[in-house]
Amino acid sequence: MIYLDNAATTRPSDGALVHARQYLSECYFNPSAGYHGGAEAARLLNKARAYLTECIADPAQFSLIFTSCGSEADNQAIFSTARRGNAVTTSGEHAAVFESFRELKNRGVEPRFAPVRADGSVDAEALLQMVDEKTSLVSVIHVNNETGAVNDIVSIARRVKEKNPRTVFMSDGVQAFGKIGVRLSKDIDLYCISAHKIGGLKGTGALVRRKGCAALLPRIYGGGQEGGLRSGTENVFGIACFYYAAQEKFASLEADAARLKGYRERLWEALDKELFVRISPADGSAYILTVSARGRRGEALQRMLWDAGVAVGTGSACNSKKPHSRVLQACGYPADVLDGVLRVSFCSSNTREEVLQAAKLMNEAVRRFGG
Amino acid sequence: MEKVIIIRYAEIHLKGKNRGYFERVFGVNLEKALKGLRHELRRTSGRYLVTAFREEDAEELCARIARVFGVHSYSVGVRVPNDLESIAAAAMSVSPQSGTFKVDTHRADKRYPMTSPELNAEVGARLLASFPALKVDVRAPQHTVFLDIREDGSALVFGMFCEGAGGMPVGTSSKGLLLISGGIDSPVAGYMMAKRGMEVKYLHFHSYPYTNEQARDKVIVLARILSRYTGGDTVATVKVTHIQEEIHKKCAAELNVTLLRRFMFRIAERVAARQGAKCLITGESLGQVASQTMEGITSSNAVVRLPVLRPLIGFDKEEIVARAKKIGTYETSVLPYEDCCTVFLPEFPAIKPKLSYIEEEEKKLDVEALVAEALGTMEEFPLR
Repeated sequence: MIYLDNAATTRPSDGALVHARQYLSECYFNPSAGYHGGAEAARLLNKARAYLTECIADPAQFSLIFTSCGSEADNQAIFSTARRGNAVTTSGEHAAVFESFRELKNRGVEPRFAPVRADGSVDAEALLQMVDEKTSLVSVIHVNNETGAVNDIVSIARRVKEKNPRTVFMSDGVQAFGKIGVRLSKDIDLYCISAHKIGGLKGTGALVRRKGCAALLPRIYGGGQEGGLRSGTENVFGIACFYYAAQEKFASLEADAARLKGYRERLWEALDKELFVRISPADGSAYILTVSARGRRGEALQRMLWDAGVAVGTGSACNSKKPHSRVLQACGYPADVLDGVLRVSFCSSNTREEVLQAAKLMNEAVRRFGG
Repeated sequence: MEKVIIIRYAEIHLKGKNRGYFERVFGVNLEKALKGLRHELRRTSGRYLVTAFREEDAEELCARIARVFGVHSYSVGVRVPNDLESIAAAAMSVSPQSGTFKVDTHRADKRYPMTSPELNAEVGARLLASFPALKVDVRAPQHTVFLDIREDGSALVFGMFCEGAGGMPVGTSSKGLLLISGGIDSPVAGYMMAKRGMEVKYLHFHSYPYTNEQARDKVIVLARILSRYTGGDTVATVKVTHIQEEIHKKCAAELNVTLLRRFMFRIAERVAARQGAKCLITGESLGQVASQTMEGITSSNAVVRLPVLRPLIGFDKEEIVARAKKIGTYETSVLPYEDCCTVFLPEFPAIKPKLSYIEEEEKKLDVEALVAEALGTMEEFPLR
């Protein structure tokens, strides 16, 4: 199986699993326990916390709390900070942000959605126009999970703060963390990440927070773990996997990105342009190439490809009520393009041969489509 | 005092010389339905009695009994020796403690020393004495305490009749093959035929990879729900993808669905022969969609010899939905998976295609080879 659906989830890293295993079978103690074993587990948490923070930010300025997933981090960030006036985001957000913003309306906060360009990146000027003195939160996805387009969050955050310094700025960094280099600036208050997109496990995420930014509110009350912001016994094994997987990613981040960018372009070259149109931008994440086989149905192609030995993503799940991706619709594509969307997403262990074989199978599947 | 569930059956007693056969099948079906819960089932004249069950299983036993076709009604009550003291004590245990009531005696044992009115009066008086908040109302009582004096020296005492599923025991009216799609209608069609005693087998057509595995899993879930009424322990699936592709490539687009349905019927007839089914069952309702017109039905029927039963033919959608809700298939049917196969749907399907036109278009296809190929994809999935 050639696995090219890494933006959905990655195969857990063997190395991370081997290293983390002791926290499953030997050091399985509750980090809050007062004896040596508990202290060992707590030490791992703190090591992981420090490392993951320093990968993307200055640990003197930023702290990190572990959550159960990226969506939880997004939710906590949004509902803690968008509490009055209006809140601005983009039409290209992941559902964890988009649906939370829609919920804000029920809580008396006006959600505003800035338009996106054809590649899925936000129209920054339009977004800034929406920010005013009553804006409590701005949220901009770092790497668009459906197209791979990268938003320049450092610059957007700076301009938001210039317009309203009291506005909180957050970014969903789930598809960026461990894949593209970033240093969180003082204008970025909150940043959400997830383990299972970089070789960690599902069920582990984190919220990175600038010290001194608006207070967070807990979503789960209980034993007061994570500084009282996220109660519940810590997922020590999952966090250990997150830690070791991140070490692997950050050790070769630049090199991987350069190599995968090459694969991405080779894949695109090898695809039959009579059959496919490209949606992903050239300057987007090296990890995602989204294309469309116009007029075919991506979901059916996806299954044909699975049977041929390659797993890729689509632009949407099959749902007769919502046949098309909300994000790609917002990008302005017509129905026949939206129908045929396939998202190919890489991980560092993919090979050139795999990518070329996938391109060949994709061409074949589309030609075979419809008999 | 022994807890019992009394099961009365419906039309079986009308069946004259076949009565023994109907009762045997009914008994077997009841045993199947109650399997896994501790109980004893026995037939007394004109009734079945469930005894020796655990008190906490009573509700589940009743729910299962209510789904068995042929059950006219059932009651939870007690069985006691037929002396007056025992009967009165039993009546006390099932009687309400307030409101209006009457006692209603049925004497199967005509040699019993007291007449029915005498028993009504005597037991009624004792209940009134025990429960001062009770009042007699023989015309429109809120509660009735039923006494059933059996011929074997026992009496059955119970407070309520619960309605059964009615109909005939499944298996007494031959066997049919249901074309089940995953929508709302076909499960209801299968239910209706089972209600008339037909044993129902299941056949599902899919167009993988244009349809997904979840759609198939959904059909299996539906069939599982349905099989509580209809019997049957597998769903057969047949892949018609290649047939659709061929039709799509070679024939007039407006006939896509019409032609596909003819293939489905041909395949179904062969599957029916394998499974010993004597008819096909579909959920068609006249005029509901483009293929469910008289012309569409004529076109499908023309390719099979077996009768095609369409129990929903005169039903409105709302009526079908109401039944699906009652059966318990509706919530699964409306899960969003079914309409995946929109690729081959023409924008304007032919509503009243002429048979001659259809046959002309069909000549462009190697019908026999396609049917044989599709049959080769048949898989069977267990329901349990």
